[in-house]
Amino acid sequence: MNKRSRPLGLFSRPLGLSSSLLAVTLALMLAVALGACGSSSSSSTSSGSGDLSAKSPTVTVLMGTAPDSLDPGLGATTQSYEATWLVYTGLVTYAHASGTAGTVLIPGLASALPSISPSGTTYTFTLRKGLHYSNGEPVRAADFAHTIERAIKLGWGNKQFLTSNIAGAEAYDQGKAPTISGISSSESTGTITVKLVAPFGPFLNVLAFPAAGLVPSSTPLTPLPNDPPPGVGPYKITSVVPNQSFALLANPQWAAQPIPGVPSGHVNVNVKIVTDPSSEAEQVLNNSADVFDYNDVVPGALQPQIQAKASSRYTQEPTVATEFFFLNTKAKPFSSQPAREAVNYALDRPAVQRLDGGMLTPACYLLPLGMPGHPSAPCPYGQPSEAATAANVAKAKELIVQSGMAGTAVTVWSENRPPHKEFADYYTSMLNEIGLHATEKVVAAAAYPATIGNIKNVNPQTGWIAFSQDFPNPIDFYQLLSAESISPTENHNLSQVNDPHIQSELAALGPVPSSKLETVTGRWQALDEYTAQKAYIAALGYDDAPKFTAERINFPALVFHPVYGNDWSTLQLK
Amino acid sequence: MSPRRAPREPSGPRAHGGALGSRGRGGARVGVPPGTGLWRLAWRRLARSRVALAFGGLFVAVVVLCLLAPVYAHDVAHTGPDENHITEIVHVGGKTEEVVSPTGVPIGPTWHSRFFLGADANGRDVAVRLLYGGRNSLEIGALATLITMLLAVAIGTAAGYFRGLTDGVLSRLLDVVWAFPPVLLGVAFGVALAVGGLHLGVVTLSSGSLLLPAAIIGVVAVPYVARPLRGQVLSLREREFVDAARVQGRGHLRILAEEILPNLTSTIVVFVPLILANAILFEAALSYLGVGVQDPAPSWGTMLAEGIRLTPGAIHLVLAPGLMLVVAVLGVNVFGDGLRDALDPRACGAAVGRSLMRLPAETSLPAEAPWPAAEAP
Repeated sequence: MNKRSRPLGLFSRPLGLSSSLLAVTLALMLAVALGACGSSSSSSTSSGSGDLSAKSPTVTVLMGTAPDSLDPGLGATTQSYEATWLVYTGLVTYAHASGTAGTVLIPGLASALPSISPSGTTYTFTLRKGLHYSNGEPVRAADFAHTIERAIKLGWGNKQFLTSNIAGAEAYDQGKAPTISGISSSESTGTITVKLVAPFGPFLNVLAFPAAGLVPSSTPLTPLPNDPPPGVGPYKITSVVPNQSFALLANPQWAAQPIPGVPSGHVNVNVKIVTDPSSEAEQVLNNSADVFDYNDVVPGALQPQIQAKASSRYTQEPTVATEFFFLNTKAKPFSSQPAREAVNYALDRPAVQRLDGGMLTPACYLLPLGMPGHPSAPCPYGQPSEAATAANVAKAKELIVQSGMAGTAVTVWSENRPPHKEFADYYTSMLNEIGLHATEKVVAAAAYPATIGNIKNVNPQTGWIAFSQDFPNPIDFYQLLSAESISPTENHNLSQVNDPHIQSELAALGPVPSSKLETVTGRWQALDEYTAQKAYIAALGYDDAPKFTAERINFPALVFHPVYGNDWSTLQLK
Repeated sequence: MSPRRAPREPSGPRAHGGALGSRGRGGARVGVPPGTGLWRLAWRRLARSRVALAFGGLFVAVVVLCLLAPVYAHDVAHTGPDENHITEIVHVGGKTEEVVSPTGVPIGPTWHSRFFLGADANGRDVAVRLLYGGRNSLEIGALATLITMLLAVAIGTAAGYFRGLTDGVLSRLLDVVWAFPPVLLGVAFGVALAVGGLHLGVVTLSSGSLLLPAAIIGVVAVPYVARPLRGQVLSLREREFVDAARVQGRGHLRILAEEILPNLTSTIVVFVPLILANAILFEAALSYLGVGVQDPAPSWGTMLAEGIRLTPGAIHLVLAPGLMLVVAVLGVNVFGDGLRDALDPRACGAAVGRSLMRLPAETSLPAEAPWPAAEAP
């Protein structure tokens, strides 16, 4: 489950009083003036960390939110994947291409795509020969089992894809078995066999996650976020300063073992965490940094300058991501369907679009544009691209009264990063307008996913969340509404939906391989329309992402990948 | 026969120095008729300090404006502080303008009743939020000051009067709080209590309550007042009139209430505006950092935080709360300086006063920041 952080993913000695106040005053005015001038104190980015190869140039990539972890066995946010998919190649991986072409799976460390048994439960891979990790250690077939066991043991955020599908993985997770019985390998032939408990259509996509990218069997079963283990990929991760920076340097082993379709990379990458989107955008605009975080929103105030000075290095790229407010169906007031419908009727999606700087396509369905199964039927709550009419708001008020929930206290949750705090401000105001009693809780972006995912202690009623695809299969999005995703902590089904119809449809649609989705598109559409009618969520719309670089970057050559965003291995200087 | 009471002095030990006829802030010698009461004397001195009064008046004006927020919102702006008008259109000078542009940039000041100072990213009226935000900021500042003064007087007098174990325990407790930079400590408390609020025995404060930031600021500031008070009490308790009270068999509480506290009054009075000014700034800093007033409720600090990300396109969003903050804090602070001079004229230019009088710093009225000023948002 790829929660986005953005877009989610997820003070001395006393001074004289007068002098101190004046100092504070002056500092305040200075801050204002600096903000007004749009200054940036970032240094030039062409120099990298001391470890860099002299031959390779270095570019600076900015990130608005730090990755949750750079250990592939733990990282589960877009920021983490953006880096780790270039370091930890799995048995299969995605083509490094923009658009639909980027959703195609290609052999990674396996010499070819696997042979799949007729029952769809046994996958057999053959490992490429002569592979080495970035530390020089040879890759062994047995490393795959260790990699999967490690991800489960460390509690990778999407481990349910492994434990619920691979035979024996659940027993291993529960400590009932020392290894995963469903994975076997042969060092002599390089064969790796994975047995599933039942057919699961997107299983190959699961194996393309960086968490399934091989690490040596000697890697300890403990988190290594600051000194990530070696992997097989064009890059290796070094110089990790938590919440500040890290670097991706060329993997010295890579040149001897190129994998077709996986580029070697042209530059080394320094990643800096810059939490203020304005500062981030100004640095790229002023060419003091090279790449803007696609998970962030370029402030509208800077749009005129970008149009004037940087139109050739800025585009809005469509992403397969949905922003929505979850509605907890197990707690008042959203345990009532009319109350949930009321929210959907009253939502002014074009207003939210403006809060998002225009980077949102208003919509009311969970499955976004570009995802097979996106409904073609009109939205049941009115045209999303039009502002909520007075009639819609009146209807919403009526529904709240009808539901018996008028005046019910609601806490709206959000992270503190713009524009999500602004989304929550708007939403709180709207809920109050339709007859609920809403207040707001805004928490730090880094703590947000864990906070709202805690049913045991927090059990949030409603709040903002965004979700972008982990892999191009609608079942990925429907993990958000699957009863199996409900857990006391790290809960992914924030609306806590347990609907028999959804469960039976997921059971039927789950085994369909990603390559045959066109055969079940209508069924997915019907399911998504059903979800909208039940108002399990209040969808806001689908994200566009900014592709924005400094002048020295070869902008057209930079691939915007449909799953992992800016593909740093395609970064090159003009 | 009723016991003789000690004279009520602006600052116990220094009352012997003969403050009468000392120089006021403006340098004019104040003639004082014999028998004039200390408070009347202080008022006469204060009345001569026009600068202090002017700034005090400025602060009062800010307070009055903020108190009138509901009137302005209802009768002038016709919108509440939390009402969003993102997709609305306004007519300004014959032109039609969007309150928030499609790329998210809000309208600037219209200088008309609606959106007089412009709108914020959510299309909310900045002038309305400025006044409501001022209410929150001032309310927290006042509550925090009250909490600080109550705790500091209790701890400072107990530690100074009882000395020994009581003093040791209380002073170390103050040292612990003092050991941390105040804003850092405030932020730490704010973050820890942001989600669950405060549950301490029977005391329960929800995370959205204004009392929470007030309590945090109030507690963090206690050592900066309690320590000087303790020093003053240590000196007072050795004075003859306290000895006389003891000899007469009066209990500790009565001595504290009748002999010690009255002699601390002027110090406490002088501390109030200084603490208030810093508390307002402190609140702005905490709210700017997201651990003070909780959204969507406005405060000057939260408004600055919201506005800074939209500069330079919407600079009114930082200028409006920034200037109000400056005016309010400067107003109460300069008035506080004048009040200190009026109650303790020898402290004019405290360093000079101290060196001339050879007084330990702890027994002087506060001429300097009682605690490190909050960082500017």
